[in-house]
Amino acid sequence: MKINRQALIGSALGLLVVQGALSQNFIFPLWKKNYSTDKPNIGAGLAPDQLLVALAGFREMIAGILWVRADSFFDSGNYDAILPVIRLVTMLDPKQIDVYATGMWHIAYNFTDEESRSDRRYIPTALALGGEGARQNPETYELFFETGWLWYHKIDDDFGKAVKWWEQAQQRKDILPARQNILAMAYQRNGEIEKGLNMYYSQLDRANEVMKAQTDFGARQQRDTTENNIDTMLVRMSQRGLMGPMSGTTNMGVNYDTQPPFDVGFSAQVTVIQPRVIRVRCTWNVRPVGTRIRMVLRDADYPNAVAGGMNWDFSNDVQLDPPRDKTFMQDQLFVRNQRVERKIDMSRDPTMYPFTAERYIVEFYYNPRSAPPHIQDKFGWNGEGFTDKNFINKTVRPGQTVMYTSLELTRDQILKLGDWRDRTPLIQTKNFRESDKFRRDQESIKIPGLRTAPVNPGDQRTQPLR
Amino acid sequence: MKIILSIASTTVGEAVRRKVLLVILLIGLLFVVVAPALNILTARQERTVLIGLTLGVIQLTAALIAIMLTVYMVPNEIERRTIYTILCKPVQRWQFLVGKYLGAVAALGMMIGFMTIVLLITFSVSQREFDPTKLAPLVKGPLMNFFQMSLLSAVALMFSTFVSPLVNIFLSSGIYMLGTLFSPLFQTLVESPSVNTVTKLFARIIHWILPNFANFNVQNPLINPGQQLVNEQLYYITTIGYAFFYIGILLVTAVLIFDQREV
Repeated sequence: MKINRQALIGSALGLLVVQGALSQNFIFPLWKKNYSTDKPNIGAGLAPDQLLVALAGFREMIAGILWVRADSFFDSGNYDAILPVIRLVTMLDPKQIDVYATGMWHIAYNFTDEESRSDRRYIPTALALGGEGARQNPETYELFFETGWLWYHKIDDDFGKAVKWWEQAQQRKDILPARQNILAMAYQRNGEIEKGLNMYYSQLDRANEVMKAQTDFGARQQRDTTENNIDTMLVRMSQRGLMGPMSGTTNMGVNYDTQPPFDVGFSAQVTVIQPRVIRVRCTWNVRPVGTRIRMVLRDADYPNAVAGGMNWDFSNDVQLDPPRDKTFMQDQLFVRNQRVERKIDMSRDPTMYPFTAERYIVEFYYNPRSAPPHIQDKFGWNGEGFTDKNFINKTVRPGQTVMYTSLELTRDQILKLGDWRDRTPLIQTKNFRESDKFRRDQESIKIPGLRTAPVNPGDQRTQPLR
Repeated sequence: MKIILSIASTTVGEAVRRKVLLVILLIGLLFVVVAPALNILTARQERTVLIGLTLGVIQLTAALIAIMLTVYMVPNEIERRTIYTILCKPVQRWQFLVGKYLGAVAALGMMIGFMTIVLLITFSVSQREFDPTKLAPLVKGPLMNFFQMSLLSAVALMFSTFVSPLVNIFLSSGIYMLGTLFSPLFQTLVESPSVNTVTKLFARIIHWILPNFANFNVQNPLINPGQQLVNEQLYYITTIGYAFFYIGILLVTAVLIFDQREV
């Protein structure tokens, strides 16, 4: 039988068209949805032998080997080396939940300067990694929870984002009861008090259901904890004057703890005492210990900066290299004895604080939503009992009452160059008054007692008892 | 048809007698058996690493067998001049090629089947998992590997009609690697806004022409179960159909080339 060449060529071309159409229009879109790992550039950091093994179908094994290697880097404190390993492992095996979670924590928390301040330039990277991990592992609550935790604990601002992530974590079946509690806390920090209370009540219902089926210690503890949380919250709601407005009535003239608003009387002074070393002084009228004022010193044109922080989740790309030529220093100024005196030394970490820009902004920011409960008892969840004659601000965080002010420094001032070589740069808010208080009793903390003289003459509740 | 089956059965007999293939198979089986010992590589993902490793071993071993089995089939017949004794009988060249190919595929199927059985036993024993409904999904990986390797064999057979075995090994391996890697790369190129239209069009043409081996890599949901898959059965059917279409193209091309060749 002689073969018909033309017919064969025609049929081969026909088959080529058919397979191409099938592959492009049907198989590839389905493959992308079902089987693609979405990580084509895994070869970027692998040695040729590792790459070959990975491509041969042993991605999970190579990922495991790399992660074991990363463990030794953790032990030796070689943190920089861990970053590419984390990225490679998550690219090779995007189902390694532990690597995503550990990686996020490592990136967000472990890159610090000599004074243990985190390098905030890495936070967007950590968030992007968490977001990617959550997208790759939508069946488990873990990375939704971890990403929410970064917002709640590390960023400690914009609690709506923490709520968003934790609400998604709640939708996953594998979430642990103990991890559910924290969403109620995030609701409170986000000013959604009723939602927080309802969350506790729904948890109590669940805990009671569990108690019917099993009466072990864990189940009983969960129920008791939830009951305790509800009790505490109801007391706080009552003390902070929320019950009346929530039930549609008024507070009937009762002076709740949050009224009248307390003037914190913030003022600040920044002195450059040596190149890259500044001294910060602030006043803050709150006597009880527990206030931390956020201070940011950053390039005036730092990308995606917002007042008192950054648009932290501006990108979904996991960029391992932060903007190395930019400076973003953030510190928490601990208030004691109604003032702050703090020396911040940035001279020992030139890679973290390169100071290459010409102009810098020094920001002071305080959000009552981040305050500890004993201070919120006066300020309220949403800053109802909080004010500042000079720096109260309701625009930098829409819908929130915060304290915010900023000052400006130049590069020459921070580095003491040019005209500033022999002079001491000093910037301060207009209301700052020099006081010898700053030099006395820095190490001891005066705890206010019931017999303490009133700080705010108008606030009758702080009158001394006689 | 009888002629084709006769050549195929002879090819299977030759394949199981070839020591190099048996050695590759033995090494593959050894890796599958020792795979549970590598669980130390990860703290919480023992099962993941075990499935990933064993499926990877089967895929790699099958690829090696497919290439080593096919690249020598036609050149050996020509070199040993045994092809003359076949072609002088009432056997068409296309029948010879198709018979050889079917024999290779049958031998490949036997070897992949054997490795799959060992995989299932290893997995059952190491994970103490004896529920057939939970073991059955694992077979999907080697099943799709079989069609993937059938396609690879067709590639190697087509090349074997006009290049030497050594060149063929590199060519077939290269096509296999490209065909496995190009889909993820294509995905990036097409979805990236920074890539220009000409590059995207070029990538689309390559993706259209190149045998797409990545289609058969369905191990991700097997390694990490619990994923929501869309139209899984339909995907399997169309992918197997794709394999048949592409194998058809390669066999026709091989026949056209071999028919013109002087032996």
